[in-house]
Amino acid sequence: MSSAVNTQSKTFGVLVDIPKCIGCESCSVACKLYNDLKWDPKRKAKTARERAQEPNKGLWADDWTSINLYEPEKNGQKVLRFVKTQCFHCLEPACASACFSKAFQKLPQGPVIYDQSLCVGCRYCMLACPFDILKYEWEKAIPGVRKCQMCAQRGANFQIPACVSVCPTGALTCGERDELLAEARKRIKENGYIDHIFGEKEAGGTSWLYISDVPFDQMRFRTDVTTRPMPSYSEGYMKLTPLVGISWAAVLTGLYVYNNKWKEPLD
Amino acid sequence: MASKKGRAKKLTRRSFLKLFGGASLAGISLNLAGCSKPLTADRAAGGEGWIPTQYNIPGNWPTQVRGRVAIDPTNPSIHRDDQKCILCGQCIEVCQNVQTVYGNYELPLKNDLICIHCGQCTHWCPSGAIAEVDDTAKVLKALNDPEIHVVVQTAPATRVGLGEEFGLPVGTNVQGKQVAALKKLGFDAVFDTNFTADLTIMEEGTELVKRLTGELKEPLPQLTSCCPGWVKFVEYFYPDLIHHLSSAKSPQQMEGALIKTYYAKAKGIDPKKIYSVSIMPCTAKKFECQRPEMISASKHLEDDKVTPDVDVVLTTRELARMIKSAGIDFNSLADEKYDRLMGESTGAAIIFGTTGGVMEAAVRSAWYLVTNEQPPAELWNLTPVRGMEGIKEGAVTIPGAGEVRVAVAHGLGNARKLMDQVRAGKSPYHFIEVMACPGGCEYGGGQPRASAPPSDQVRERRTKTIYEMDAKCPLRNSHDNPEIAQIYKDFLGTPMSHIAHELLHTEYTSRADSFTPKKV
Repeated sequence: MSSAVNTQSKTFGVLVDIPKCIGCESCSVACKLYNDLKWDPKRKAKTARERAQEPNKGLWADDWTSINLYEPEKNGQKVLRFVKTQCFHCLEPACASACFSKAFQKLPQGPVIYDQSLCVGCRYCMLACPFDILKYEWEKAIPGVRKCQMCAQRGANFQIPACVSVCPTGALTCGERDELLAEARKRIKENGYIDHIFGEKEAGGTSWLYISDVPFDQMRFRTDVTTRPMPSYSEGYMKLTPLVGISWAAVLTGLYVYNNKWKEPLD
Repeated sequence: MASKKGRAKKLTRRSFLKLFGGASLAGISLNLAGCSKPLTADRAAGGEGWIPTQYNIPGNWPTQVRGRVAIDPTNPSIHRDDQKCILCGQCIEVCQNVQTVYGNYELPLKNDLICIHCGQCTHWCPSGAIAEVDDTAKVLKALNDPEIHVVVQTAPATRVGLGEEFGLPVGTNVQGKQVAALKKLGFDAVFDTNFTADLTIMEEGTELVKRLTGELKEPLPQLTSCCPGWVKFVEYFYPDLIHHLSSAKSPQQMEGALIKTYYAKAKGIDPKKIYSVSIMPCTAKKFECQRPEMISASKHLEDDKVTPDVDVVLTTRELARMIKSAGIDFNSLADEKYDRLMGESTGAAIIFGTTGGVMEAAVRSAWYLVTNEQPPAELWNLTPVRGMEGIKEGAVTIPGAGEVRVAVAHGLGNARKLMDQVRAGKSPYHFIEVMACPGGCEYGGGQPRASAPPSDQVRERRTKTIYEMDAKCPLRNSHDNPEIAQIYKDFLGTPMSHIAHELLHTEYTSRADSFTPKKV
C-alpha cells in the first residue's frame, strides 16, 4: 500500500480483510482510547457473540465501532468470523445530504465528519443512514449525534486511523481507495474469497471496503442495500430548495412593499 | 427600526419579528446557496484522547509492537478488562516470541481462539488488564456450606511465591504459614500436591523404564506431562508426537482423583460431598481440571453425581486475595503441618516447582527402579539440568539400563526446537522435560508478579529457595516417601497397575483440526 497517506487530492479508505481478523478487539479499544469514549459497565461485559445479535450490532453513542462474532458455515464446518462494524463513510453520504445545517460533511480525503456546533438535533441524518450507524446521545442535556469520524484529525497529520494502526494481523489496511480496490481483487483471487467487495458499489460506494471468504449475508451485512447513491433519490427536486426559498422570499417581500405603498402604519 | 415619517425610534413586537424573520430567511438562503464554509478535519468530533506513541507515526509503516492477543470470553483461565488495556503489545510479545503460540497458525481461524492458558501474558501486561479468571467466590461458597467437605492441595511452587504478596522477600519459603492460613480459611483438609508429585515420579518413572526396556511399546523420547499448558501445546502443534507424552496425569489431577477415592474411603466421607480445591502457581490448571476426561473418581466409583476430580483451581494470587479479604495476618501465623495420608513429601517433589526438577526427581527414582538400589549422592545435585538456560541436557549411566540421555526445556519457544528434532527423528534423548513457563512453575502464570515482565533474577531467587528446601529434606527420593509406600500397599498395588491406570493415567486429544498449520 501507499506509504504516503493523505495528500489532499486523494480519497482514502480502509480495507477490512475479514478472514484475517482474530477477534482481539484492539481496534475497538484504540477507538475508545483515541476518542476518549466512556465505558459503560453493562455494555463492556457484552461479548462479541452477544453484540452480533443486538439490533444495533453493538454500536452506541460511546461505541463507535464494534467487533462482532458470527459463526457461518464454511465447507460444512462452523467457523469463527469477526466483523468490524462502524460507519462505512459513503462516498455520497445520505446523512450529509439530509443535514440542512451542514453538521455532517464528507471530507475530500474520505472521512464523513460531524461538527456538533452546527447541529440542531433534528436527527434526519439518523433516518437517512442506510446502515443504521448513527447514534444519538439521548441521556445528555445537549445531545449530539455520534459515529466513527475515521480519525479525521489523525488523517490531517498524515496518520492512519487509530483502529488500523493497532491491528496486529493486517486485517485492516488504510490506503487510497483505488489501490485498495485493486488489492482487494488480488486477495479475492489469491485466497479464494467470495467475489464481492462490499462497499465498492453499495450505497453508491463507501470508503470502507470489506472482503470475505464466507457470504456477507451470513454476517448481517445489508446486502439488499441499493447501489445508487442515496442522495440521488431526492437530488432532482431537493436541489430546487434554495431557488424556491429565495423566490418565495422575493414574492413575500414584493407583496409587503406593494401593500405598504398605500397604507399608514398601524402603530 | 427607523419609521418613514421620522417618528422616535421604537422597537415594537412587529418590528422585532420583521428583523429576525428577515435575518433568518437571508441566513437560510445563503446557506442553501452554498455560501457556508466547508468543514475541516480539525472540526470533527472525537480525538480528545490518546493512544500510545508507537501508533502516532505518519504513513502506513507497521509498528513493531502492536495490538494484543485475542482472549475468548469463555477462556477458563485468563480474562482481560478492556478498560485497562493500553494496547502496549506486550501480551503478543510474550505469546508470539517466548511461547510461540500467537501467529504460529495460518488465518482464517477455524473454530478456536488458540490459547494454551499458560498465563504468561498476565505477567507481561503492565496495566493489569489481563488476569486470571477469578474463582474465589466458588470456593467461598463451598467453605460456607457446612454440608460440604472442602479439601485443598497446594502445588510445590506456591510456597515460594505466596509470601511476596505479604511483603516478604522474593523466594521466601512460607510452606507452614500457607497451611496455617488455609486451615484458618476453613478448609477441612490440607494436602500437599508434593505427595502426588512423588507418585507421578513412581508412575512416570516406571513408564520410562518400561519404554527403555521395550516392555511398553511406546516411542522414545518420553515427554513429561505434568504441565497442562505444554500438553495442550503438543495437542495443537505436535499431535503426531502425542504418544511420546507420558500417560501419567499431572500431580494435581492425581491428587484430585485420590481425594475422592482413597481419602474418601479412608475417612468414610461421601465423595459426592467432597469439594476439591487446588492452589496452583498456574492458570492452565484451571483449564486442565475442566478437561472432560478428568472425572476419574466419578468413573471409578461408577457414580455420575461425583463432581470432577478437581472442582476448582485457585492461583497463588487468588489465594493471597482470599487471605487478605479474610483479615488474616499472614506473617504472624505459626507454621502448621499438612494433614496425614497425602501430606508427606520428599525433596524430589519440591523441585517439581522449577525447571529441571521433574527430570532430576525422575532420574533419582529411575536409578532405583532399574537397579533396586539407592541412587548415588551426585544424583541429588544434577547440575546440568539446573538453571535458567533455555535448553539443558545431561546424561546418566544407570547400571543395567546404560546411558540415559535427558533434556529439559522451559518456555515453549525452546520446546519447539526439541520437538522439531523429535519430529525429524533426530532426537538423541530418552526423556525430555518441558515446562511451558520460563523458569518452570515457580514463575507460572498464576504466581505473584515480582517484576513485569518477569526477569531471570527473580526466577533464580525462587528457584534457589526450592533447591535449598530439597537439600534440607531428610528424604530426597520419591520412592522413599512412606505415604507413597503406604498408598501402593493399601490402594494402588503397583505402579501402572489396573487401578493406577484408571485413576492416575490419561489420554490426549489431537487439536490439529482447530486451526490451519503454519506454512513453512
